[in-house]
Amino acid sequence: MITDKLNYSPLVKAESNNALDQFKGTLYPSKKEEEWRYSPLKKLRKIPFINDSSFVVKNLSLLNLPKLEGNILVLENGRFNPNLSFIDNIQGLNISFISNSKENYPYSTNLKKEDYFSLLNSSYLSEGIVIRVDGNAKIEETVNVLNIVSSNNCLVNTKIDVFLNENSSLHLKQYFIGNTTSKNGFINHLNNISIKENASLVLDKFQDLNLNFNISNDCINQGRSSKVISNTFSTSGLFTRNNVTNNVNGEHCHSELNGVFSPSENEYIDNHTLINHFVANCKSFENFKGIVKGNGVGVFNGKVIVHENAQKIEAFQNNKNILLDKESIIYSKPELEIYADDVKCSHGSTTGQFDDEAIFYLRARGISLKKSKELMILGFINEVIKKCNNIDYQDFIIERLLNN
Amino acid sequence: MKEVLIDIKDLECKIGDQKILKGLNLKVNKGEIHAIMGPNGSGKSTLSSLLAGNDNYEITNGSIFFEGEDITDLSPEERSWKGVFLAFQYPIEIPGVSNINFLRTALNEKNKFFGKDPIPAKDFLKMVSEKSALVGLDNKLKNRSVNEGFSGGEKKRNEIFQMAMLNPKLSILDETDSGLDIDALKIVAGGVNKLKSNENATIVITHYQRLLDYIVPDFVHVLHDGKIVKTGDKNLALELEKKGYDWLKINSLN
Repeated sequence: MITDKLNYSPLVKAESNNALDQFKGTLYPSKKEEEWRYSPLKKLRKIPFINDSSFVVKNLSLLNLPKLEGNILVLENGRFNPNLSFIDNIQGLNISFISNSKENYPYSTNLKKEDYFSLLNSSYLSEGIVIRVDGNAKIEETVNVLNIVSSNNCLVNTKIDVFLNENSSLHLKQYFIGNTTSKNGFINHLNNISIKENASLVLDKFQDLNLNFNISNDCINQGRSSKVISNTFSTSGLFTRNNVTNNVNGEHCHSELNGVFSPSENEYIDNHTLINHFVANCKSFENFKGIVKGNGVGVFNGKVIVHENAQKIEAFQNNKNILLDKESIIYSKPELEIYADDVKCSHGSTTGQFDDEAIFYLRARGISLKKSKELMILGFINEVIKKCNNIDYQDFIIERLLNN
Repeated sequence: MKEVLIDIKDLECKIGDQKILKGLNLKVNKGEIHAIMGPNGSGKSTLSSLLAGNDNYEITNGSIFFEGEDITDLSPEERSWKGVFLAFQYPIEIPGVSNINFLRTALNEKNKFFGKDPIPAKDFLKMVSEKSALVGLDNKLKNRSVNEGFSGGEKKRNEIFQMAMLNPKLSILDETDSGLDIDALKIVAGGVNKLKSNENATIVITHYQRLLDYIVPDFVHVLHDGKIVKTGDKNLALELEKKGYDWLKINSLN
């Protein structure tokens, strides 16, 4: 049992002590479940996870990170590390911690039996951050949240609640980092995001877990005329899985989910996304690129549902993958369910190898084989990288993707 | 005494079980322009691809010497650094990689090979505007992805622009005239002529005599069934234009 060695921390004060108790014995999904078919759950199963909230990282410069600007909130092994953090008071931006909250913080009550890792998160929450942006506040400074696991076998359950009120905007950058000196740590994270009318959120996610695990659940709810752009870059991890649910509840919304993932030897990186178009007149764009090395395994499973009466929806979904080696594996499953009749939707998926003719062309111009492959990869991911407006961040992502 | 730039000796190659070149000999000196003509399937494109180092073909006999050095087993990039350039018949589109970034990488890789520093951005851009003027390449194309969405003519101009940037010793133009209208042909040929010097040489591979009105060869070779079967001056091209290749096949059989 995943929780055998955990001391229960009653951070969540709810009537029932433990969300998991409701569903005893069902912590791990079965491989027979469609949603988990390709996940190497046995990697997780065999680890005896523990709590360990010690601080190991002495200085952020010891980690492989880009230059951080704006607010920096560091969670290390599931606990807020004030020594590594920097919080600037910004008008319209309110940041608080669940551990400091005097109110009872209920766990999500709408979880189902199948929400295995959200249930685990709710039951063993170690820290949560609540970010509220006041109505009409456009926050220029980036809010960086670093979620670091630095102790072996450490299970981290964290959560961020984001509330963007009417006409507000925010740029949130999340980093999920597995310290190179730690292994078999597990960050099980939940993002609960609410974007009210006319508000906009840019969410950049960077995942570099090395020999650690990360499951990240995002639940995004969009109000009328709101905008979300989510860019997820996953460069390494023994087991990294993103489950993104984007509920578009108001008309005239813009939703974008982009990502690049590059599993290499013995790694598994999975992007599961669901966009629910509940109402009419919205646009969504989805673009994920996979680069798989060695015997790495990549998964893209993207689903777009256009519900009944959600007319005039434009939804475009695209997944492209390059397999660098013979043993490399990709599972790609683009899904589109349409229950309205006046929509413009498309989805597509391609998987291939390097184009030998293109490589020869580059080499014939004096570009070495290694550099030619790098250029081809750059060209392949360019349209997604360009979604980030910061050149330093772009360069950082490129460097990490190429050197994993 | 003219200096030999490239010396191809008894070259034989195959792809799969199919023999393509069957003992090809060709010597090109510095300062010369050689045209290689021949019917479809005679091995013209194989030869150009092979000279640039394409390893799809297996060399079964013979060797290639470049400035006296055996380059038969060198990689495409090493040949490029030493000064071999192939203008592709079908330039490849590389989405997402800008022309500029591609060329800067190419130049810097060459500099690295010669132990030189990367080219400063300012010098590079100056060179780009100079060399692109040579073939009238539209400014916008320089920032676009390599060959992506280029017209046939733009792709060929882009090849000659790259040639100007890399300043090779040996340029191999593989059917550079295909897909070009007469105006574009003149511009491309004009670019090639401006780059010509006593220190470099050009091999022009073509089906048609037309290109040779603009790039005037010192020698014309006819390639047939993997061998050079006839060599002459520019008048040979005119004769071929008139008579076709069939009379040669009969001649060579006799």
